[in-house]
Amino acid sequence: MNENELDRLFAQNTDRRGFIKLAGMTTFGAALLAACKKAAEDGGGGGGGGATSATGGIVRPPIAEEPGGLQVFDWSGYGNGDYYPKEEKDFLWGQYLKNTGDTPEFILYENDDAGYTKVAAGATYDVVHPCGYKYKDWVDLGAVQPWDTSLIPNFPNLNTKLMESGVIDGQQYFIPLDWGFIAPLVNADHVDTSEEDTMGVLFDERYAGKIAWVDTLNMFHVAGLFLGVSDPYDMTDDELIEVRDFLISKKPLVRFLWNQSYDFWLAFKKEEVWAGYAWPDTVGYADSKGMNYKYMKPKEGRISWVCGMGLFADTDNYFHAHEYVDSWASTVAAEFLLAYYYYGHTNTQVDLSVVSPGIIEALGLDDPTVLEPPNAIPESYMPRRDLYAQYWAEVLAS
Amino acid sequence: MTAGLLSAPLLWLLLFFIVPVGFIAAYSVGAIGIFPTDAGVVSFDDWARFLRGDTIYTGLFWKSVRMSLTVSVAVVLLAYPIGYFLALCVRKRKYVLLLMIIAPFLTSYLLRVLAWKVILGDAGVVNSLLFSLNLRNPDDPIQWLLYSQFTVMLVLAYVWIPFVALPIFASLDNLDRSMLEAAGDLGASRLKTFWRVTLPLSLPGVVAAFVFVFVPTIGEFVTPLLVGGTSGYMYGNAIQDSFTRGIDWQFGSVLAMFLLLVVAGLMMLFGRFVQVRSVAG
Repeated sequence: MNENELDRLFAQNTDRRGFIKLAGMTTFGAALLAACKKAAEDGGGGGGGGATSATGGIVRPPIAEEPGGLQVFDWSGYGNGDYYPKEEKDFLWGQYLKNTGDTPEFILYENDDAGYTKVAAGATYDVVHPCGYKYKDWVDLGAVQPWDTSLIPNFPNLNTKLMESGVIDGQQYFIPLDWGFIAPLVNADHVDTSEEDTMGVLFDERYAGKIAWVDTLNMFHVAGLFLGVSDPYDMTDDELIEVRDFLISKKPLVRFLWNQSYDFWLAFKKEEVWAGYAWPDTVGYADSKGMNYKYMKPKEGRISWVCGMGLFADTDNYFHAHEYVDSWASTVAAEFLLAYYYYGHTNTQVDLSVVSPGIIEALGLDDPTVLEPPNAIPESYMPRRDLYAQYWAEVLAS
Repeated sequence: MTAGLLSAPLLWLLLFFIVPVGFIAAYSVGAIGIFPTDAGVVSFDDWARFLRGDTIYTGLFWKSVRMSLTVSVAVVLLAYPIGYFLALCVRKRKYVLLLMIIAPFLTSYLLRVLAWKVILGDAGVVNSLLFSLNLRNPDDPIQWLLYSQFTVMLVLAYVWIPFVALPIFASLDNLDRSMLEAAGDLGASRLKTFWRVTLPLSLPGVVAAFVFVFVPTIGEFVTPLLVGGTSGYMYGNAIQDSFTRGIDWQFGSVLAMFLLLVVAGLMMLFGRFVQVRSVAG
């Protein structure tokens, strides 16, 4: 193990510790918070209950009178410096720092569900960064308010079609920014890549003990697509049971379920696993190490995700938050995500000549329809998420 | 006077233990909820569902009991000689050695667990050694070393041994030496002295040690999360997932309350054997 890897291990450790802390705080603190929230609601005369409209004639203090110290509730590596301390700061919120002189505070969550749960339990920040299939849940929770897009100078440069996914009840509740795919990544030295690409490689007996799944409900979408259900985001009772039982039957083939993309990469690099559910960042790492890999374009379809920024309903940093999102919406931020994480960005003004050909190929950046069906299956809202969650818990516990 | 001295810790206990447990109990019957989808009506359905034993979680509970029992027994067996050696064999620098045994507690728990990943991985220390001794083909490393029930139990045992050596050490250290001399004077062999005198007198320490491991490990979730893979998943993980992923706080509370009741029951049972004085030294 070289020095660089050790650094990574330690970085990962901090990352984990952050997560454990978060998990602990969620479970312990949430009960108290929820009770307080409940009490506040009960005592509040039952009024309100929804997000305050951005255009509701509210008088807001100017940015100079806002408290600052913007609290950003986000994934690891999106500005807090877990992976690239200097670059994350310079490229993702350098513009924000320049314009406001404010240094944001980052509070991390491990996955969409954990972030949502913490806020449902009463925690509140200024900005949050969930993915598309959770948008409606956040709005239903009453935790977010619509953005005033006129305060985001970079907004007109963002992909109009993708911006529609952030509109709920006719209002721009989320500003979709980063996107990517979900597909199997395989080690081409060990996995037969001459066959047609398929999600089935994640359930293939030939690779028993060399497969990694992700530890989220997304495994239901992957297995659902593989089994040919009509809508993996809104399965019928029978389909859900079929997929659950299928996952339980295939779980013995799986070495581990990853929670952090980087954990999967470490195991993939050490060849502890040959095939896994992967985001494009792992492709980027594999590319930079010169590994013989294949990022599949499965015949069942490539799942795509788009994550966006939401604005907390009770933020005191309304204008700061808009500045922050504008910073994230810039071409500088877009080029950082592309180059460092192999993630796409909704800013259409990115100069593709500065992007490496490997990334253009992996993400299909030269194809404007790459995110549209049938080229991709966008992640979408799950009306019956509770049932998915209950069944996934049963897969884990089996 | 006593009431005054006790009020601070009692208040602490009330605020940060009794009240939160009350919350969990209230969640478990749906008396309070946090999600828009929560029904907000009191219902014992989740308790009934769990106690009927037809959910997957009953099996998971017994699996965790089994794993935790294995770890506890192994740890006590391994820690006993350490306690014995320190209490009865070492004459000089007893406490320096004791400090050395508990030294691992000075490093981060996560770091120690992650170190096991390096040791047990496919290309880790153990497998590499086997490769270089030609005992194993490099294409076929021993896979169950990492991400398995075995790994979880190994790491848990490693973590708890020094901790458990303490109560055993304390009970042996407090042993009245004249008893051992008397046994010798009456013609008992060293082995017989151990079986008939030392071991019975140190049993409270052993029971305490057992409880010290069993109670925390049965609800363990961090170690399985880091090294357990798909098969090392424990009951504690199911509780943690129910809450942090927002899967189902009500059912998660049922799982948590059930564990609490089981542990409380065990404590009461074992409390009869363990005299606090005998292990506190």
